[in-house]
Amino acid sequence: MFDLRIPSVLRGAKINIHVNGKALTAYEGETVHATLLAAGYRVLRKTPKTHQPRGIFCGMGVCYDCLVTINGAPNQRACMTRVEDRMEIEVDEI
Amino acid sequence: MKYSYHVIIVGSGLAGLAAADILSRYGFHILVIDDNAHIGGQLLRKLPHAAAAGKRFEPDRLKRQGARLAARIKKGNVQVLNGAQVLGIYPEHILLVEDSRGHVFEYRAEALILATGARERQLPFKGWTLPGVMSTGAAQILMKSSGILPGRKTLVGGCGPLMLVVAAEILTNQGEVQAVLDQSVAAMKLKAVTAGSAIWPKLLEGATYLARLVAARVPMKQGVRIVEARGRDQLEAVVVASVDADGRIVRGTERIYPTDTLAVGYGFSPNIELPQQAGCAVKFTSDKGGWIVDVNETMMSSVADIYAVGETTGIAGAGKSFIEGRIAAWAILNKQGVIDWQTYETNTRPLMRQRDRQIQYGRFLNHLCRLQPGCYEDIPDETVICRCEEISMGDIRSQLSNDFKTMNGIKKATRCGMGNCQGRTCGPILFDILSAHSQRSPKAIGCTSARAPVKTITLGALAKMTTNTAQDDESKGNG
Repeated sequence: MFDLRIPSVLRGAKINIHVNGKALTAYEGETVHATLLAAGYRVLRKTPKTHQPRGIFCGMGVCYDCLVTINGAPNQRACMTRVEDRMEIEVDEI
Repeated sequence: MKYSYHVIIVGSGLAGLAAADILSRYGFHILVIDDNAHIGGQLLRKLPHAAAAGKRFEPDRLKRQGARLAARIKKGNVQVLNGAQVLGIYPEHILLVEDSRGHVFEYRAEALILATGARERQLPFKGWTLPGVMSTGAAQILMKSSGILPGRKTLVGGCGPLMLVVAAEILTNQGEVQAVLDQSVAAMKLKAVTAGSAIWPKLLEGATYLARLVAARVPMKQGVRIVEARGRDQLEAVVVASVDADGRIVRGTERIYPTDTLAVGYGFSPNIELPQQAGCAVKFTSDKGGWIVDVNETMMSSVADIYAVGETTGIAGAGKSFIEGRIAAWAILNKQGVIDWQTYETNTRPLMRQRDRQIQYGRFLNHLCRLQPGCYEDIPDETVICRCEEISMGDIRSQLSNDFKTMNGIKKATRCGMGNCQGRTCGPILFDILSAHSQRSPKAIGCTSARAPVKTITLGALAKMTTNTAQDDESKGNG
């Protein structure tokens, strides 16, 4: 897969998170939505009414489209949360 | 439990920081609240580890001033609450705030400064909810905050200067820009260039971005509109078409761009929800980006001792915000009897002149992003308008024919604007749809109403509120 991480950027420490139970490497300082995008998770949830896929849209906490479950807490805005070591993230399956 | 301050500032962009800086110098006890993890707002957004990479010279004067300001605030005795959101403002300037841990507190102040900024404006098209379609701001934030490209190859569309900025940033970060598709045509842009000297530096800045795109041979088109985003579970292709002078799609001019990433935006809308909920009067001014908080020359809103500054009083960029934050601070110092009228005048007179110039630039910016009524008449029925409640253009059209022609009427008839984002995304769009479909005045159409809590919160967090105690780890100074 094409690496979306910009090569010239100095990154924080490597940390380990889980997405739907699968191990994933992230870097300290990244937001959850960015880490997920870099790993190819573009669909983050399905809408409750018509089950349409949604992902990153406003990227700044306004639109509530990037809602994911973080450490058991549902409906967290992925774009407003920074990744932390051993974070457990759940996204809706396609 | 209530915590008291002289002044609470909501929003830590240049407006909020500039006000905090002045007020704290006079010994005022200040709390700054921001929903981001960093201070500095959108302008000073940067990679968390960038500082360690060595200091590169920042060519933008405003960013340099902002960075110095942020450094002073961090070192000084201003208390900062990051990752926190204000849920509501109640009589006697009591704020209900949810902190980064999801705990709810009450704060109180003698005066409030609301510097809540702006968000991106959108023009809905079929399939705009597909993952891979994101705002130009979202594309920029991915690069600026996390060092991640929005996509392998990004198509950029919409209107306004942010398109050029984002496209140039993608190139700088060794990404690929598929094309830049500008909905406005050169003639419209020239019409916007009637303002005075205030816009020339900005035009020059725009030209440097443009030069970078030309040098990289990025295809650029004008007068084309994003018509449809296609894909099964995520974006696979974007259909674009030429528009006529009224913004309507010219059939037969459609063209398909295969891509998995589209960054799109149509200018900005002021974040007026919190001031509105606090009771501040709002007014519609298209030169200033739509519905804005109505303030007097001291930046005070219609509610005593509640000030509004920055983009929330009119879209014009960080320059105006930086000025208005300082005006509000001097006004509060004068009103509280700390400085006399003469000192207030001396400090604010040059600021007022600078502010006029920035408002001139804002008028140019908002003209550039103006969309013709035809754009809205052309939206197909199956297009989603309210992303949260999944209300379509067809749902709205059928209520329009039932004679629901106001913001509140459509909201009640369809639930448009009643979801998680509380109309922040679809509110300005619905307003434009209603304006395009009727001869009514902006005032008659109205504005999305805002009620507490203005941000989503769990009932559990509210229920636990009385047992919360001050958090010492996030606070400095004596809360």
